[in-house]
Formats: sequence, structure tokens, C-alpha cells
Amino acid sequence: MIGGLVIPTGVPTKESEQVTYTLDTAHQKASDMVKSIPANLTEYRCPLCGQVFSSYADMKEHYEINHYGSIPPVMITLKLNGKLCELLVEPHWTLKRTLQFRLGLTGAKHMCDKGVCGSCTVIVDGRAVLSCQMLAVECEGKEIETIEGIAANPKWKPLIDAYCRWDAMQCGYCTPGFLVSAKNLLDRNPHPTEQEIREALAGNICICGTYPRHAQAIMEAVQVMSEGA
Amino acid sequence: MADIAGVNGQRENFRVVGKHNLPGKLSYALATGIAKFGIDYVLPNMLFAKFLRSPYAHAKVLSVNKEKALAIPGVVDVVTWDDPDMLSIGGGFGPPEPYLTNYADYEGCEVGVIVVAEDEDICEEALRNLDIEWEVLPHSVNTLEAAKDDSPLTCLKPEPPSMFGPKEPKKHNVTHVVTAQGDVDKALKESKNVIEYQLKLPTFASHIPNPPASVAWWEDDPYLGEGPNMHIEGAVQRREQIAQLYHMPVEKTIQTGLFQGGKYCDWGMRKSQEITPLLARRTGRPVRCANTREETFDFLMNERYMYMKVGFDDNGLITAIDDYSVDDNGSLGSSAFGGAQDQGYGPYYTLRCLDIRQQMDVVDTNRGKMYLSGQHCPFNWDSGTMAIYLIAEKLGKDPIDIAKLNLHGPTSQEDPNPVPSFEACLETGKKIMNWQWHKAGTKKLPDGRMHGASFRYQICPRHAFSGYDSKLELRDGVVHMPTQGPCTGIFAVECNAMVVAEELGLEYEDISIDFDYREKFTPVGGGSDGTTASSWVTKECANILKQKIIAAAIRNADNPPPPSMFSFGKPQTPNPLKGHKPEECDMIGGMVCLKADPSQGVPLKEATQENIFATYSGRPPASIWSTGMGKMLDTMNSLFCEVAVDTDTGEVEILRYCTVADPGKVIRPTSLESQIDQVAYFSQGCQLLEEYVYDEKTGVRLTNNMIDYKKPTILDVPDVEKTFLETRSGNAAYGASGISHSLANTHLLIIAIHNAIGVWVDTPATPDKILKALGKA
Repeated sequence: MIGGLVIPTGVPTKESEQVTYTLDTAHQKASDMVKSIPANLTEYRCPLCGQVFSSYADMKEHYEINHYGSIPPVMITLKLNGKLCELLVEPHWTLKRTLQFRLGLTGAKHMCDKGVCGSCTVIVDGRAVLSCQMLAVECEGKEIETIEGIAANPKWKPLIDAYCRWDAMQCGYCTPGFLVSAKNLLDRNPHPTEQEIREALAGNICICGTYPRHAQAIMEAVQVMSEGA
Repeated sequence: MADIAGVNGQRENFRVVGKHNLPGKLSYALATGIAKFGIDYVLPNMLFAKFLRSPYAHAKVLSVNKEKALAIPGVVDVVTWDDPDMLSIGGGFGPPEPYLTNYADYEGCEVGVIVVAEDEDICEEALRNLDIEWEVLPHSVNTLEAAKDDSPLTCLKPEPPSMFGPKEPKKHNVTHVVTAQGDVDKALKESKNVIEYQLKLPTFASHIPNPPASVAWWEDDPYLGEGPNMHIEGAVQRREQIAQLYHMPVEKTIQTGLFQGGKYCDWGMRKSQEITPLLARRTGRPVRCANTREETFDFLMNERYMYMKVGFDDNGLITAIDDYSVDDNGSLGSSAFGGAQDQGYGPYYTLRCLDIRQQMDVVDTNRGKMYLSGQHCPFNWDSGTMAIYLIAEKLGKDPIDIAKLNLHGPTSQEDPNPVPSFEACLETGKKIMNWQWHKAGTKKLPDGRMHGASFRYQICPRHAFSGYDSKLELRDGVVHMPTQGPCTGIFAVECNAMVVAEELGLEYEDISIDFDYREKFTPVGGGSDGTTASSWVTKECANILKQKIIAAAIRNADNPPPPSMFSFGKPQTPNPLKGHKPEECDMIGGMVCLKADPSQGVPLKEATQENIFATYSGRPPASIWSTGMGKMLDTMNSLFCEVAVDTDTGEVEILRYCTVADPGKVIRPTSLESQIDQVAYFSQGCQLLEEYVYDEKTGVRLTNNMIDYKKPTILDVPDVEKTFLETRSGNAAYGASGISHSLANTHLLIIAIHNAIGVWVDTPATPDKILKALGKA
């Protein structure tokens, strides 16, 4: 971790990217990302000037001296994908922004930033919420699940596999948001009808027009998961 | 069949091509959220940048005092348009122009200043703290008003040279463009019937799902030679363009990301995707610049007002077409697609009518920008759809019969023969729809709503402009297909891999698609070139590889390596290929085998240990679409829809939406279906939901967000019924042509609504407009 920022696992290398994404390798990579979520902060970076401190108290003192009148970031602990995670975050930061810029988790996507498109959907205490509309500080003590956590859980492999085989994506940017909504639906209703699926996904917008294939994928996943249960 | 020019063009049996539900090579990364798009990259010690955006529709920045901004903690750099660095990038023909200017010709346009800071909040604070002296200029966001001689001058800069731009000198805000064939005035005068009508082609947003963004940094790498290397992510499929912008050798320009998000023919780079290397060079740190959603409301299509006169005989045969259009040219640098560029590819040349005139006033406005695009291809197609409907309505005939009467034959406008693809689409479509035409406003459904129907045809385009350089490799018994990323959602590399598997007797999963940004091959091209033409080239390459593999397998059989120490003394299996000639061998079921008896063969992994390469550069024969420009026809498609209109509430329900399309040959059906759904929803959106609303007084766009600008959701869209015909009369792989955006339309639903209620409603046909048209609001 450098300057309060986890280096995202997906930072490209210069070597030839002979990448093979399969159900298992993607699952493994998502698992690695979840594992890399740090439990404790080791550095405290001033968001205003970039200076790094070894303790929160030192950083607060730095604020008093150098940025008098500015509100320093706060320390919070999130329960993220089953892991406790200590974070330094500015009070007005959304959960979406925190996931990306503090933890390098970019499965929740920035699209509308207005709570309309569902691309940034995560699950908080069992409810699908829009992480662009929820402050990170509001999430303290709550159970947060992101697409990375869902993808890292073998239980949901059939759902991810069905999404891929049915092409329930084109450009794929909104897809994690749909999958999180789908998982949240199946948590509540393991055997949804097609209409119930459509209603559960009504808050997710896909510009590529993949709508019909989500229901197909989810119905097939439900069948596979039932058979495997 | 046209594809006889290619190897194996007449293949009859397909094992892999045409198969459903083969996952995309990157799909698992996309679904699990591990895929990174330009906007997702976060690097240690990264800075953030933001452009100043014009709050005015037309303005100049006269001066900027940046002292207060620079004094804000966390502000690292403030760059203005007159900084010498602004001349260090860019270039091309003519004298150097600054990359960023102090001139804005639409609200929200990047202008004058870029700030760089520790985070985006600080960037915004810095922008608020700039002391800017603006010269606010008169503007117009009303295309028809801007076309008038007494309107404000909307653009003060000369039009840059453009391969697509109008050529005639501009008068005030207007460039007049004319193309004509025959004598339209005479033909109209002699026509037995003339209809006049107007239609407005709506503007709608390109709506790239992932807001354009890039992150760049500079680094040394001895493997890439001396000097710094420019690493950028988020420049999408424009690495070479970025290299050119920064005067860098392309081999020292690195972009390894594989995911570029939705690009619906909106290929124009935004400044946020270009500027980061400069800022990273200035600051010595990685820099990220991202558009917000509000900053990503560029046009996918400019608006156009069409004034039509169509002459026709008593049987419905069109005898004259006079199209006068007023077209928004948008702000400086907008694409001419959708404007003058369409005149050569419009619907009119598919008709027997020989007297055609297209006049267009292309008007500069301050409405916004349309980057290179072509979602509606060509944009004015439904002016022809409308003519056919209106003639049918006037004569009490079925519009399908009017279309059949008017469509010319395969070879020219004088060709009297039917186009087989067109005939097949229509007959199939009529059966599926149980097509029973009725006159406007005459059919009430049992629930009291009014029933309307409409029909439309189009050409299946393949641009035929793109050439490809394919390379395949057999390495350690595995066939590799190297290709550049990043990829968009058309699953083109998957189409290529399916073709390679088909030709080599392998399965799709056997082909290793190796992404490497340094590779030459990338299956990107105009229209369906990216899937079907690239697949044609890959098919040729696969057959070259096949011949080399068979030759190597025979060499191995005739002169096998000595047995290893581990197999010494064990009986050796005789190699069935020994002594055979290459023409006696084939590749089937993962084996190199004998044609006469395919059970006699050797698994590919054992057939040869040689490292074998094959390359092929070229393109398939030119497509009829590109050479005929409507005057020759091969693969066609058709669309049918039925709506119910509630005359009490103004609500429209799409009852059926059905396409019968002939893409020549279906290569990857799942993605073809998806492409059709996409254009169906785009078309629905622009006809029923989406609208740019301006405050004409200030020139500010009021709907630059996804709350006020409504895209269809899963609950809004119809089930799109799809039937594919495979006449194999296209020019690319196996006779494929593809579909491109040809099913996208601006008036299929509008016509169906008219057929239901008997009055015209402008786009978007929202309930309030329908009630107003019915005199109820």
C-alpha cells in the first residue's frame, strides 16, 4: 500500500497480456482482490497535499497547522466482503468513490452518478443499494458485498457462468451491477419468475441492449444451482 | 454465392460457426468486475485533472488569473491555452494549432484551462477560483433559426479540413449541399400524384456507458529502447492516434488494457482521453482525467428537418423524389455523417425512381458536438420508409406491396428482377406477423386501444473499407490467434476464433486468443467489417496454417524423431500419415487425418512439434453496399412492428417488434441477436423517450443527466422477435455481410402510431404529445 492507496491488482504490466479468462481464473482473481483488502491502515496520506504520516494523530495535527479550517478525513471500519477493513476517508466521499480510490475495487462502476443506472450497485445489509448515493461513513458497521465478493464465492459460479454463456453483456460495463442485483434477488427469492427478474433488474440500465439475456441467464443459473443443491 | 473468392467459401457443413452460447473470451472478466476500463485505473501517487468547461453556449476566454487557484492546497498545475505545451502536441497538416483554445462553441465544451490536483474535489475548487474574463458571444441552439441569414453567427472559426466535411463555401451559418440525378422538376410536374411531407430526425445521445477517461504515466524500460515510454490506459482503440498526437513512436506508446466499453460507432476521442500524457510529463506523476456523465452527452445523431416531395403513379410507383433538408452541423469539428455524407447512401437509390434530388442546408449551431458516428446508417433512411407508408395510405394499399413495386433489382436501378434476399425477408416476415394491413385509425383492439402497424426495409451494410493482417501460430500443439486489444462488445475476436476452429477441425475452446497490444491484427472495421471481413481474412490465414500443419505432420510421419529413452523397446504405433501426400490429408476432430478415412489420423498435439506461423493480409472482395451505394443490392433486412395506443392516456405499448434479416451467414448468433436488440432499444428510445431540451435564451442543455434524459429500462423494451435468413450472398466470410446498425430507425414506431390514431406525433412520442396531437391536451 502506498500513500493510503492499495495498488489495484489489475494494474497492467508491460509483458504480453496473454490472458485467459475462464470461470475459474476470474473467480481466482476476484478472490485475490478480496484477500488483498487490507485490514489495517499503515500510512495516513493527507488528501490535500499528499504528505504521508505514520499515525492518524500526526495527520490531524498536520491539518491543524497546515490546513486550518479544512475537515480532515475520518477513520472508519467497513465490513467488506466478509473482511473488516480500516480506512481513511473524507466525510463526503461516497461508497463508490471509496471502493475505487481507497481499495482499488472497481467492480462497482461509475456511470450516471445520480442513482439512476444501477451500475454501481452493491449490497448493504442484504439490500441492493447504489454506492454512488451512499456515503462511506454511513456504511460503518454494515455488511457490504461487492461484485468481487460475489465472484469470489463459489456458490455464485453458475450465475456468472450463465451470464457469460448467454452473452448477458456486450461492452460489459454495466454487467457487474446487473449481477449484484441478480444475486440480491436470488438471496431473497431463489426461484424467481421471469417477471420478477425483470422487476428486480429495472433499476439497472444497459445501453448495449442486453436486457432479454439477463432473464435467460438467471433462469438457467437457478436451475443449475437447484440441481447442485 | 459471392464468397467463392475465398478459400472454402462454399463450405456447406458448419460445426462451430453458427453455434450459440459460446462465452466471449473476456466475458468472465467483465461479469466478475475484474475488468478494468479507462475510468477504473487508479495508480499510486496519481493526480487528477479537469478541464474548464464553458458555461456559455458561445464564448471566448479573454484572460485567466490563476493565482487564487494555484494557492489552494493540493493544486499541482494550472495549464492555460496559451501555454507553449499546448503547441507541443497535435499537428497534422497546416500551421500548428494549440491543442486547447480559448474558444467555446457549445455549453460544456472544454475551453481555456486544465487544472491538476491531488483529487477531483480540489480540481473543482481550483476551477471555481479562477478569475476568468469571458467574452460572451451570441448563440443559437435552434437549428432552423440558425439557418436564417439574420441569426447570430454561431461559429467564428474556419471549418478545419475534413475528409467528410461539406465542400461548398459556407454562407453565414449554412453550407448548401446538393446531389441530383435526372430532372426532378420535370418528373414532379409530370407525376400523376405528388405528396408533400415533413419529418424531423431526432437528436439522441451517444451515451457511451463508461464515461471517457484516461490515466497516463511515463516510464523507462530498457526492453523498449532509450528514452521515456508513454503509458496510457483509456485511449481505447486509438493507441496509434495518441502516439501521433504526442509525436511518439508507436512502439514506445503502451496501452495494455483490454476493455474499452461501449463504442456505438462513436469513435471520436474526448480530450480527457488525450491530455493525460502531457499532464503526466509536466508533473512527473500519473495523471487521471475523466469525463462526468454530464460531460458525456454528445450526439450520436444530429437533428435534421426534412421537407419531402414525392411524385408517384396511380399504382404506387415512385417517379420523383425531392428532399430538402436542414441539418444541424453542431459545433466545430462535428462529424458529417448524418449530414452531407449520407446523401450517397440514402434510401432513394434502392428505388426504381431515376429522378432524385437531395438538397441540404448544413447549419452550424451551438447545440453540441457529434463525434464520428454512424448509428443510424444512413440517418435519413426513414424518409423513404415514410414515403412508402404515405403512398400506401393514399392509395389504400399495403406498404409492403408498394415497397416491392419500387425496389429495383440486384444489379441496377433499371434491373426489373426481384432481389431474392428482400423477397425472402418480406414473405417470411408477413407469415410471422400474420400481416394484415389496415388504413390509419381504423382498427380498435378489444380493450379499446387503437392498433397500429408499420414496416421497413434496409440494406445489410458491410463497408468493405478495412483491410486486416491476420497471424496464426501453432505452438506446442495449440493454435494461437494473436490480436490487439482493447475490445468492445461486438465479440469480433470470438467470430474470428470460431472461423479458425471451423477451418482447422478444432473446437472454439481450442483456439488461444492471445491479447498483446503490440500485435498488428485487430478486428476493428467499419460496419460489420470488424466481424465478417476480419473473419474472411482470418479464414484465409487459417487455411494457410492448415496446409503448413499438414505438410509438417507428413514430414514428421515420414521422418519421425528417434524414440526417446523412456519409450525404448516399446512397440511404436505406425503413423497413418506416412507416405501420404498433403492433398490426401485433412484436419478433422482435432486430428490430422486421411481424407479417405478420417479415423486414420494423429492428434494435432502429436502430429508435429514444429512451431508454425501463417500470415495473411488483405480484405474480402468489395461489398455491394460500398460499391453499389444502393444501386446494387444483395443482403437485405426487414422490420415489422405493431403498437397499441391508448387514446385516453396517450400511452404507447409495443405489441410486437419483429425482424427478418439476412446477414448472409450468421457467424456468432448470440452477438448478432444482441446487436439487433441494441438497435431496437436505441430506436425505441429516440422515438418514445429520449430528448435534448435546451434553454434557448442561454443555450444551456437542460437534460444532460440520466434522470431527465430517459433511456429504456428492462421494463420498457419489447421482446424483439428475430428470424435470420442465410442467403450467403454477402462478400465476407462464408457469404456473410453482417447487419451493422441498419435496423436502427427513427420512424418505425412513429409510423405505427400514425397508423393507430391517424395523426402525426413528433419524436419523442410521449403521452402528452400524443394527447396534444389528438386534441385532448
